[in-house]
Amino acid sequence: MNAPRAAGIDTSAAVRATGLTKRYGELAAVDGLDLEIAPGEFFGLLGPNGSGKTTTLHMLATLIRPSAGSAAVAGFDVARAPVEVRGAIGLVFQESALDRTLTVAQNLRFAGLLHDLAPGVIEERSRELLELFDLTERRDQPVASLSGGMRRALDIVRGVLHQPRCLLLDEPTIGLDLPNRRRIWRFIERLRARTGATVLLTTHYLEEADGCDRVVFIRKGRLVESGAPRELVARLGRHILEVEGADLEALVAALETRLGPALREGDVAHFRCAGDVSPLASLQTEIGARASAWRVRRPNLNDVFLWVAAGKALA
Amino acid sequence: MRIRPVYAVLERELLRLVRQRTRLVAAMVRPLIWLLVIGGGFAAALGPDYKSFLVPGVLGMTMLFGAMLAALGTVYDKESGVMRMMLVAPLPRAWMVLAKLIAAAAAAAAQAVLLLVLLALLGYVGPAIGWGLLALALAATSFACAGLGMLTASFSRTLENFAGIMNFVIFPVFFLSGSLYPLRELPGALYWAAALNPYSYGVDLLKHALLPGAAGADFSAALDLGVLAGATILSALVASWRFSRESAYEPMIHAVAGRAR
Repeated sequence: MNAPRAAGIDTSAAVRATGLTKRYGELAAVDGLDLEIAPGEFFGLLGPNGSGKTTTLHMLATLIRPSAGSAAVAGFDVARAPVEVRGAIGLVFQESALDRTLTVAQNLRFAGLLHDLAPGVIEERSRELLELFDLTERRDQPVASLSGGMRRALDIVRGVLHQPRCLLLDEPTIGLDLPNRRRIWRFIERLRARTGATVLLTTHYLEEADGCDRVVFIRKGRLVESGAPRELVARLGRHILEVEGADLEALVAALETRLGPALREGDVAHFRCAGDVSPLASLQTEIGARASAWRVRRPNLNDVFLWVAAGKALA
Repeated sequence: MRIRPVYAVLERELLRLVRQRTRLVAAMVRPLIWLLVIGGGFAAALGPDYKSFLVPGVLGMTMLFGAMLAALGTVYDKESGVMRMMLVAPLPRAWMVLAKLIAAAAAAAAQAVLLLVLLALLGYVGPAIGWGLLALALAATSFACAGLGMLTASFSRTLENFAGIMNFVIFPVFFLSGSLYPLRELPGALYWAAALNPYSYGVDLLKHALLPGAAGADFSAALDLGVLAGATILSALVASWRFSRESAYEPMIHAVAGRAR
């Protein structure tokens, strides 16, 4: 691949988006998004369904054109140099991008040739990557015969065969069971350790995003929060109080004057507590008797997700 | 420009052709039925020359069906994951269309050569034919049919249109081509419809190559070649334009973008 060398091309960021916008008629799927991802960073794009994660990824991958704003990946502008962008990235879709009728090796050969790799190079890298992803034995089997987990692994192999500097993963573990999800994450870890590639991923499984260097939450196409996962959790508060009760409305009203706005999730109300547990203890003796359940626990990234999805500011 | 991606698409197409035995057998049986059954029937009424008149037509038919099926595979690719693989490849969209066009033409030409061997074995094609012109006719007709196929594929969203494509593209193109009767015998409107059909010129060129003294040919070989080349270029341009639009990938991208709303 040509290195970005022309004057004015910015190589300091792996991904840089400025005011990135995609409108479908009236609706803005992505609305003025700013992103900056450093080379080698492990970056998570999080948000509820319909928040614009996939649309963002597809704009960065040059599959759809931004309505406004701009983005550069590996120093190449997505609108002006889409072919160069596609040469520098690997994209793994939510849906499989493989020919089910061809074998594992034939799929990789097809993908490699499309990326202008020499057959010998494809052969060699396929061997290495299939080894890394535990697929060596499946080499000559048709893709249709692979399990969902193996197919996803092969999709990632397909996405990294040309050694992209930036790997875009759209829900890489969606639809997989827990052991397979863990396997996929181990593969991604191994890959990062080996290549040092920038990884940008979207996921619904928040516990999986814990390993990211940095995450951003988007909602209705806008960036609402960003930071390291631990930092975001810390900003949410030190404890989460979960309350249930027969007259939840009254309970919430009483507690909201003391703890700030609640997050309602069915029959449960969540409250954020910034300080110590001791005020909570006195609150429990005061109000807790009216509650059928009173739980105090540490917050996690799931809580951040719920609060962000509900449209509430973190701090 | 990069050759390997074109080769990748070509290799996959030929691999599919070899593996899909029924497709290959059908491609051989279909023209032979026309030649032996329908040709046999009409020969009884019109005279024995009718069968040899039909030879260029059935050879063209193999290319028309072969190229159309291969090109329409693009629609199948859109629905399977293969198009995604091509979309993320570092190629201009037009290059992708060109690769598919070349692959479809190669598949069509390969089937025509196979049929030619069968026809020679059956004694319908002798050594006294214009070999150079025949090679040219096979190439030009294959490309024109592949262009027509890519054009059709670029306007079809789903494979469910296939029956419609059969009825409204393949059959009219075949019947209005001079494959079954000399064009000059056709009444006015039908003649003009056939004269506007680029495929007619492919069949005509095959007649120049295969029939002694170009019996039954309606146009000059030079005109045939010119029209076929022009039709190929025009359809490639339109198909490239169609496939460069974002909405060409609606079955795969908008499904996802729709969910992202």
